[in-house]
Amino acid sequence: MNILTLLIFIPVLFGIVIMVLPSRMRNSFKYITLLATLIQLGISIWMYLNFKTGANFAGINHEDQFQFVQKLPWISLNLGGMGKMQIDYFVGIDGISITLLVMTSLVMVIATLASWEIKSNLKGFFLLFLLLDMAVVGVFCALDFFLFYLFYELMLLPLYFLIGMWGGVRREYAAIKFFLYTLFGSVFMLLVMVGLYLSVTDPVTGNHTFNMVQMMNPSNYDQGSVFSLAAHQTIMGMSARTVGFVVLFIAFAIKVPIVPLHTWLPDAHVEAPTPVSIILAGILLKIGGYGIIRICLGIFPEVATHYAFWLGLIGVISILYGAFNALAQRDLKRMIAYSSVSHMGFVLLGIASQTAEGISGAVMQMVSHGFLSTMLFFLVGVIYNRVHDRDIYHFRGLGTLMPKYTAFVMIAFFASLGLPGFSAFVAEAFTLAGVFKSHNVNGLLPYWFAVCGTVGILLGAAYFLWTLQRMFFGQESLKGGSIWKIALTDLNLREKLTLAPLAIIALALGVMPSLVFDKVNDSVLALIQFLQTK
Amino acid sequence: MNQLLPYITGLLNDVFTGITYFMPEAYLVLLFLVVMITDLVFGKRAVAYCRAVACAGLVIVLFKDLLQFGLVLDGPHLIFSNMLLLSRSGICFKLIIDVLAFILLLYFTWDKKLKSHDKGLADLYSIAIASVFGLHLMAMAVNLLSVYLAIEMVSIASYLMVAYRTENAFSTEAGLKYVLFGAASSAIMLYGISLLYGFSGSLDLLARSTVTQLINVNPVSSSFAMVLVLVGIGFKLSFVPIHFWVPDVYQGAPTPVTAWLSSLPKIAAFALLFNVLPPMVLVGKSTGFNLEIVLSVIGIVTMIAGNFAAVMQNNVKRMLAYSSIGHTGFALMAVIVLTPQSLTTLTYYLLVYALANIGALVLATYFSNVADAEDMDGYKGLGLKYPIASVCFTIILISLTGLPVTAGFTGKLFVFSSVYNTYQQSHSIWLALLMATGALTTVVSLFYYIKIPLNLFLKRSENQDLEYRKSYNSVILAAIVSFILILLGVFPDFVLKYL
Repeated sequence: MNILTLLIFIPVLFGIVIMVLPSRMRNSFKYITLLATLIQLGISIWMYLNFKTGANFAGINHEDQFQFVQKLPWISLNLGGMGKMQIDYFVGIDGISITLLVMTSLVMVIATLASWEIKSNLKGFFLLFLLLDMAVVGVFCALDFFLFYLFYELMLLPLYFLIGMWGGVRREYAAIKFFLYTLFGSVFMLLVMVGLYLSVTDPVTGNHTFNMVQMMNPSNYDQGSVFSLAAHQTIMGMSARTVGFVVLFIAFAIKVPIVPLHTWLPDAHVEAPTPVSIILAGILLKIGGYGIIRICLGIFPEVATHYAFWLGLIGVISILYGAFNALAQRDLKRMIAYSSVSHMGFVLLGIASQTAEGISGAVMQMVSHGFLSTMLFFLVGVIYNRVHDRDIYHFRGLGTLMPKYTAFVMIAFFASLGLPGFSAFVAEAFTLAGVFKSHNVNGLLPYWFAVCGTVGILLGAAYFLWTLQRMFFGQESLKGGSIWKIALTDLNLREKLTLAPLAIIALALGVMPSLVFDKVNDSVLALIQFLQTK
Repeated sequence: MNQLLPYITGLLNDVFTGITYFMPEAYLVLLFLVVMITDLVFGKRAVAYCRAVACAGLVIVLFKDLLQFGLVLDGPHLIFSNMLLLSRSGICFKLIIDVLAFILLLYFTWDKKLKSHDKGLADLYSIAIASVFGLHLMAMAVNLLSVYLAIEMVSIASYLMVAYRTENAFSTEAGLKYVLFGAASSAIMLYGISLLYGFSGSLDLLARSTVTQLINVNPVSSSFAMVLVLVGIGFKLSFVPIHFWVPDVYQGAPTPVTAWLSSLPKIAAFALLFNVLPPMVLVGKSTGFNLEIVLSVIGIVTMIAGNFAAVMQNNVKRMLAYSSIGHTGFALMAVIVLTPQSLTTLTYYLLVYALANIGALVLATYFSNVADAEDMDGYKGLGLKYPIASVCFTIILISLTGLPVTAGFTGKLFVFSSVYNTYQQSHSIWLALLMATGALTTVVSLFYYIKIPLNLFLKRSENQDLEYRKSYNSVILAAIVSFILILLGVFPDFVLKYL
């Protein structure tokens, strides 16, 4: 049994257990789910510790350099004169996936702990939760495009129901908006995927293949095929490879999300129940960034370089637009949702720089934002569960009322705004360094992008500190009066146990960024080299 | 008469050798008679017997279909003086038709409204068997005469089925509408056939001489005649602009009949189209009448019209009717390409679509039986009361939308890849547009399909005191269908390698 396959499908095994158990044992479901996610975390940490580094294990475009690989023939059809259709069950990880996998497993544990607040229809909730868990882990591991797409789409339905059935007041609207947005991106991705499949042949077997690693090698493309580098085909007047890149980019950019395709995010995050908000912000957004690195850059490197300026520009716009919007929000959860848009802009900016610093920074930012947004959404959930309100102006002086809670909020806020010593600082510093360097090394991005990014950090400090001041400092004054005062108890043990590891990790990654960089570095260097040679 | 005498032996021999290739159909004729006699003998109590006989008979026919694969190992056979063509793909189509017909025959009595018919359902079974016979002919017909006969046979059976039980003015209107529309379109088709016959002097479309004769005719006339024939086939396929009957008839007819109409004739009509289209395309190419563009436009318009109209529907059956129009448009894509690969993918796509569609209508019956739900509003909050049926409904609808991990997705993927493959060579802008429309309408279709799970699970029901009624058959069938759909979603080659 391959360890990676085990990692992907463990949630399903536990899901079957939950499905079989009768509803009267509903109180045990959360413990079963917790066990599943803990085992998953254990496996991923084991993999992290056993992950080999070095130039020979860089991955990216070398199939033999991936680790924990499993490759099984899956769908193989004889198409007569067309040759054979080859779809493999092909999973494996390199430096970029391993850090995200560990992050995902940990966030899943936190999300399970946050699910304690769910009271209705527990069987359905945990079944969908575990299905979603399988899908997101699968996305980070899949190396066959067909498999990737399968997992990618499989996330949508559980999320739709998780938001729609357990969400807030406008849950139906938020759920369908999220579903339609993402599907819009992915159906066109399907077309590009089929086009790539028909353009690429596996050099070993001679069949058309969905293998993503083979798609990165220009010599595997058939002469005269749609996406062949040499053939310069056009689709409706535009270069076929540009069209392919743009379509894939839009599909992933909706997930990231970039401005102006971000409008599903505030709605979905706000309406979703806390555990789902955590998964959305902590993991799903990273799938967008991961897809851009692995697929957009990997398969269409020359187009990515050509349009790097525009990618960077979109990143900068997202940083600034997200930050300004966050400043204007009254709803605490909405503010954090917009701060996600702003922070994910750094990921895009880092990727666009195409420098080792920039891309490492982008991966670091994804990992760091995964933990920090989880923490932030969990903290919002704490207060919302107690009084069912999260309007910033309805609270004042929480610092004296809930001192432990305030301490964690301060850690999360300061870490998010990029205080040195925390993970976000390292990530943003590297990203900006990459952008500055890009001007001299490859000339893709101008200096003022980095300047705008810095302004974004400044704005981040503004909205986080302002919120801190409005809600936690000053004279105690609550909208709900004494009822709220009784309801607003300080953190209990479960909440503290959930928040403490996140805070520790945010600090640890800030002090020892090598925890991530050591694993990522070889892959990033290989990617840079790949982008330069094309 | 005397001049013909020398030919008689030859002709008779041809007929006799033809019969060996015609066994499933011969059994169907026999079965039709047996079911009818059973009905006459047992009178009021005949329903159960007729059902048993019809189902058992179909199993035998299925077996005979399977045996036919042995006959076509050395290539396709023309039988009955080039009237019918027995090919591997034709047998596949017949098999699919028989399997689905078997399911539908079981399903007829599960519908409360249809079952409460005073006359009983015994007649319906003999009509259904006759219809299956016609469908078999459609899958094999290559001569214009046999094409017409086959289509008429199916049509007449369908008229009877649609109007079998008319509970109110609406369904009576639907029945009448169907007959009038059907009669008009078959008249138009007959006119087209007579024109083609007049131009070429032959009804045999596959003959080279027919094609050369048609090429020499004035292009406008030959194109006109071909369009008229397409109208007749299009009536069965229900593509735009001859789709107007579909919503009313699907909504007005009893649900099992809707399931019948939306799956079987459609599959057979696609099989027929695949047989008669190549000569027409050949003629069109020489006369400058580009049939590919015409069908592409029809396909695009059909996808858009069907899917967008479905968004606005509130009645579940009516929504499924419009969505089936959309699916026709999508399947047309594979017909336009006309390659062996696209035939395989089309067969697979249609099988998967029909299975899901029947599953959806079975569940529509189920919810109508247990909760009197016909409209979306009626489904509110039923999801938690009837969890298994609702989960199956969701899976089936996801398959109809074409999302992983369901058979609908693999079907869509295969159709896309067969179209793409041709696009790679021809770079026809129409194919690109077709694929883009296909992708876009998938998003639109999600919007209306998801309305049912939305009402089932996300909404709270308004009247809580619904009595809890049970019904097992439909749920079991729906569960099996959902299971198959997921299985084919993960392992499509279970079926695909045989097509």
